[in-house]
Formats: sequence, C-alpha cells, structure tokens
Amino acid sequence: MRLVRIWFDKTGEAKYISHLDLMRCFTRAIRRARIPLWYTEGFNPHPYMQFSLPLSLGMQSVCESVDIRIEGEMSDEDMLSALKEVMPMGIDVKKITEPKFDPKYIAYGDFYITFKDVPDKAKMLKILSDVFAADRLIVEKLGKKGRHKVMKEINLKEHIRHSYVKETETDVIVNLILPAGSTTNINPSLFSDKIIEIYGENMAVDILRNRLLLENMKEFK
Amino acid sequence: MINRNVEKVLPLVQKPARYTGGELNSVVKDKDSVDLRYAFCFPDSYEIGMSHLGMKILYSIANEREDCWCERVFAPWVDMEEQMRKNNIPLFALESGDSIKDFDILGFTLQYELSYTNVLNMLDLAGIPVRASERTSLTPIVFAGGPCACNPEPMADFIDLFVLGEGEEVNNEILDLLKECKKSGASKKEFLVRASRIGGVYVPSLYDVEYNEDFTLKSVTATEGAPEKVTKRIISDLDKVYYPKTFIVPFIDVVHDRVVQEIFRGCIRGCRFCQAGFIYRPIREKQPDTINCQAKILCDVTGYDEISLSSLSTSDYTHLSELLDKMLSWTIDEKINVALPSLRVDNFSDELMEKLKKVRKSGLTFAPEAGTQRLRDAINKNVTEEEVLNTSRMSFEGGWTAVKLYFMLGLPTETFEDVAGIPALAQKVVDEYYKCENRVKGKGVNVNISVSTFVPKPFTPFQWDAQDTMETVIEKQNYLISCVPSKKIGVSYHHVDTSFMEAVFARGDRRLGNVIEQAWKNGCKFDGWDDQFKFETWLEAFRNCSVEPEFYANRKREYDEILPWDHLDFGVRKQFLINESEKARKSETTPHCRIKCAGCGTNKLNGGKCDALSQNMV
Repeated sequence: MRLVRIWFDKTGEAKYISHLDLMRCFTRAIRRARIPLWYTEGFNPHPYMQFSLPLSLGMQSVCESVDIRIEGEMSDEDMLSALKEVMPMGIDVKKITEPKFDPKYIAYGDFYITFKDVPDKAKMLKILSDVFAADRLIVEKLGKKGRHKVMKEINLKEHIRHSYVKETETDVIVNLILPAGSTTNINPSLFSDKIIEIYGENMAVDILRNRLLLENMKEFK
Repeated sequence: MINRNVEKVLPLVQKPARYTGGELNSVVKDKDSVDLRYAFCFPDSYEIGMSHLGMKILYSIANEREDCWCERVFAPWVDMEEQMRKNNIPLFALESGDSIKDFDILGFTLQYELSYTNVLNMLDLAGIPVRASERTSLTPIVFAGGPCACNPEPMADFIDLFVLGEGEEVNNEILDLLKECKKSGASKKEFLVRASRIGGVYVPSLYDVEYNEDFTLKSVTATEGAPEKVTKRIISDLDKVYYPKTFIVPFIDVVHDRVVQEIFRGCIRGCRFCQAGFIYRPIREKQPDTINCQAKILCDVTGYDEISLSSLSTSDYTHLSELLDKMLSWTIDEKINVALPSLRVDNFSDELMEKLKKVRKSGLTFAPEAGTQRLRDAINKNVTEEEVLNTSRMSFEGGWTAVKLYFMLGLPTETFEDVAGIPALAQKVVDEYYKCENRVKGKGVNVNISVSTFVPKPFTPFQWDAQDTMETVIEKQNYLISCVPSKKIGVSYHHVDTSFMEAVFARGDRRLGNVIEQAWKNGCKFDGWDDQFKFETWLEAFRNCSVEPEFYANRKREYDEILPWDHLDFGVRKQFLINESEKARKSETTPHCRIKCAGCGTNKLNGGKCDALSQNMV
C-alpha cells in the first residue's frame, strides 16, 4: 500500500461541481482508470481519499490535490495517463507525486480575484487603493457560537497577508493571500462581495485559487 | 457548453451543475454537420430526468445517427426559471447551450400526469407557442411518448404527435421522415399526415372528437386517411435491439445514479390495478449473457459501483439465478453492488436470499398492496398472508431488521375491514420478528407501511371504476392510523389531492386541454412536488373552464361507454379487461401467465409469440 498525491486543475464549467460531487467524481474516475485502490478492511469497505482543502462552489483552481492509497503495482506515469483519459471536462490531472506535507499544515491560500467588465475602472481602482490604505475592512461572516450559527463581524484587513492590484483592458484583478486551512479560513468572496457593495453595482467576479501555502509561506507540496 | 448569459445567473441559483452540461459521456457534435437537431425534453428536474432509463436509451440511439444531434433539456427549477425570465434567457439544451427554439424536433417523455404543466412551461420558456395549432411551420415538431401517452387526450392540444409503445425503432422512422420533409420543403400538415402512416404514431389533430350532452364521448373519427386505431409499437427481440454502450455520468447526486440493466419487458402477473402490468405486454425476456455483457461494459465506462436490474418484477425473470451467478463472478471482486428492486414475496427463495447477502445489504421492500386476502384476490395480487410472513421471517433470519410494505387505499370493492387489515398485517410481521430466534440480538424491528391512494388507469380492468372521493380517502386514512397497534409500525401516506388530480388526467379527454393551459398560466408547475403543488389554482382553472374534475375521477363508467383512449390499441383485448373486472367483483383470481395463458391478446403484437408461454415454468 502506498499513498500518492494527485494534482489537478478545476477550471471552466467544472467550477460548478461541489466538493461532495467532486469526491464522487474522483471515485468513479479512479475506477474507470482501473487504478488499484486500497480499500479499508471491515464490514463496509471504502477507499481512502483525502482532498487537501475543499474548494468553494464557483471557484476555479490550479492547485488542487487529492491523496489516495493504492495497492499493487502501477507506476505514477501509468496512473497519470490512465486518469487523463477518463476525467470529465474542466478537471485536468497534471501530475502525481509522493506527498511531502500533510494537508493539515496548509495555512494560506493565494487567490486571484477578477472583477470582469468593470463599468468604471478608475472608480474601482480608487476604491481598492482606499481599502488597502485603511486599517479596517469590516465584513459579516457566518460563524458558529456554540451550536448556533450567528453573523460575526470580522476585520478583513487583519487577515490579508499580501495584496496586489493589476488591470487589463476590461478587468481589474486583485491578488490576495488569505488564511486558508483547518484553523482559520477566510473565503475570498467576502472581499469581492464587500468591494462590489462599496462599488454599488453588480458585475461578474471570477475567483481562482493559485497556490496553497504553509505557515512559512512555502508552497504546499 | 455554457453561454455567457447563463453563466451570469449561475452563481444566483441552487445546484448550478444542473445547467452546465459537460458531464462525462455527454455527446457533443458539430452543429453544422448534422441535418436534425433534436431536444430530448424531460418535464421535471435534472435529478429526476437523469435517473430515467428511457432517456438514456433514446438519447444514445438518436446520437448513433450521423445526421442528428440529440441533446438533453430538463425543466429548470423555479429559482433558475425566475433568473431566466428576468434576464431573457430562453430554454437551452445542455450539450450545446443553444436555445431550443430553432431545433427541428422536441421530444417530451410523459412519465406521470402531474408533469403536464411543465411541458407547457418548457415550451413557453423556449419561446415556442404552447398550442400545436399555433405552431404553423414544419419545425419544431413537438412529439411525446412514455406511459401517459396511452391516454394522450388531455395533452392533444399541445403535442403534434404521440408515440405509442416502445420508441427504439419508431423514433428513427420519425426522424427519417422529418429529414425528408425538411429537404423537400413539405408543410407541417403534409409531414403529420405522412407520419400518421407510421405504426405507433398518433397524430391527434387528424381525429375529430364529438361529445354527447352529458360530456361522454359520442365519436372519435379519423380523417386524412389516418388509421382508425393506432397500435402501439414493441421491440420484438430484446437481445438484438440497441442498448447504450455508455451512460452519461452526472456530477450531482441524482435519484438513481447507477448502471441500469433491463432484464425483461412486460409482466406475467396481471395485478388488476397496475397499468404497467398491461401496457408493456407481451413478455419478452433478455438473455443472461446479453445482460451481463452490457452491464460489464457500462460499469467500465462509467465507473459506477452499482448495477440495478430493472423490470416490473425481478424475481419473475426465468434466468435470475444464472444471471446472478454470472454477474457476481466479477462484481464482488470489483466491489460492485447488484440491486434487485421489485421482488415478490411469493417466490423469494433461500437461494436468492443467500445471493442477496453477498451484495450490499439494502432495505427490503414488499408490496402486498391490500390488507385482507379477499381484497388481494379482488386485485389479483396473488400473494397470501403466509407468503408475506414467510418472506419476512426469512429476511429477519438473514439479518434484516427493517421491512417496508406498500399498500393502496381506495381499491375497488374495498371496505373498512380491508383498511383495518393493513395495520393488522404489519403487526403480524412485527410478531414474526420476535418469534424468530435467529434475529439480530439487541435490536428492535421497524415495519414501515407506505399507503398510496389508488388511481384508476386506462388499459386496466379497473379503467371503468370510480376513484374514492377525497373525503372517503381521508376517512380511510384516519381510520387506518387509528388501527395501528404498535410504535414499531410507521405509516406514511400521500396527499389525496395529488392522487385526485392524477385520476382526472389519467382518464381525461380533450376538454382538459383548456384547464391545463389556464392552470399553467396561473402559475401551476412542478405539480408532482408537494411544495409546488397548487390545488386551489387547479380547482379555479376547472371552474373557469366549466369542467368538473369529479366527472373524470369519481364517476363509474359503463362497459359500453366510448372511452377517450378507445381508438388506441395497446394489444390488450377489451373483453379480457371486462372479464377481469367482473372477476374482481367476485374476488376471483386469475393465475399468472406461466401457469395458464389468460388470453389478454397482446401476443398478436409479437407475431403470436410471448415468452411467458414458450417457457413452461410452473
């Protein structure tokens, strides 16, 4: 039995596949690829499968990974080519590696937030520079208080580790590093929703997870 | 392929993957290289539609043709419809993302009466006039099939042509004709007249309907040379007919998400309430090797870990044991579960039980249908109390601790004594558990009884019977609950108002077209969903159209009355149905087809052949 980490992109239409559906999708793809999965012993055998960090519905990513346990002989190269044959559109398996870090050490996510077809780019850029200059950016987040769900106010500025703004002909793109992982997790849509609220007009937003980082800002591998 | 407008609204709706397409094995073609664009429309949500075997078969067959691209369309859920209407997004097909307004042909499947308003709503969302008479150009042709097409009259105003029976061959004949008519520039009328010559095709606009003063039918007259009686189509040889080599694998969880293998069509039982048991005759079995090979191929290309054997009564398949041996020889190694729905209590053997235990343990469900022997005989269920209890004991000994029992309320000749018999039978099953020494230790038993309301259906011996009024059904439901002796028995039942509506449309005529249109205009859709069903709006539509729903649901018909589906031939002789109906009044049973041929007449559809007759199994 050995543990392997499958790296993949989840882009385009595949961003509408929820985490739960993605798990089912991988189980079936691995069966189709005839990868010799290791099953748990016991009354109801099931395969071992762990995703590094669930991705929110609607977000794209170029840094997803899932760990599986396999038994029997199948080389990483053979697995990769077999998987590439059977994946649905939008889920592109890139490489298979030996896991280096445990997913529990993931601390940050590096995101690209693209405001698309911004009606007034100058206004958007001004809002962003004001926001990044200020001490506070208060947003409401659904949190837990004991067993109850309550709206909590949080200061996003305390959580942003890095920010960078660039523009294209039609879009404004913000690069952010935010806490991600099992201890603190800040969804980048909290930021984009707030910016759109300040801007005062709805527009399409694309969010892409670019990298996952450890506490020391080294890349999760 | 999502178009940009759709993409804008997807973040605003639940389960956006319902609308994106792109699933594994979905068929994408170059639209410029095909002659026909065909939208297979399922008038319910994605999760319901994607579970449907008929769609998988007909979708694959149409896409085998190089000249045709068949795509899937489902009813958008109410949140998506709201966004589509607000943003002027017309109904689109999942594979291309293109609006279906400019497609050549739209095929709806009518699986249940309460999906009729969704058909209208989908046409309207596509920007297509709902009434057939208002669609004057050749394309799009709107056709429909499925079990409800055996009495299509309530939908006659909206559908250009109906397909009766099995669609594997006739659909291709319709596509061929449409392709030819498109090339030659024929009119819609010319196409429809020629289509009416195809066996199994019913073109309602070619039939004139006259009514008596009491609104019963006076006559139905074929015009333009259309056949006086339209006979349903069947597939003669299930081993030779096309079966899909791939299934689309949905991303989201759909109701039945697994490989499905049909094992036979038709049913030998002849339960008198069951429409499926009559309209899918004659019996045609598929060979174990065919089933096993097809199942293996499908598992390989889909990655599914479950195969469900599909038929009206799995344990009546003559080669079941041989088939299970063949399948278990590879499914166990590949950790694939074989599910056997629709088992009967009277031929559930120890051997079958042993095989079932090798696959994953799922719930056990049996359908005695009625609480007393007298009523079970009247409906020809041919199941005894002893058989129910025997099977229950066998399952308890096999480690099961829960059993689900299906019953119906409001069956013809039912009395309150029969109603009380339902919980009484459930209690005997409970007692059987505690008598059983090999039961699972330290665990209680759960017997769940699910009680639905009987709906009289066309082409059954009860097609002339009145449905119980809603008041009576409610009274019976309350009485049943008052008779439940133990907390180990759970009871669930259906709302009576939806069963009443089903009864109206199941045996309705063309006068219901106006009612459906008005109810839809006033907001009725997804009527099969309790949280969407608007009974008051329906009743208002009936009042406004001066149509009494009770006329269809609660009226007993005479045998000599002309019924709205009399000009359609599903192979079952009317005199056979009358004989069965008379036997029901006397609680007389009819042995199943393998014991003795009852002479239903459907073997004439298959050149006199019926698999129940050729295999002498007693």
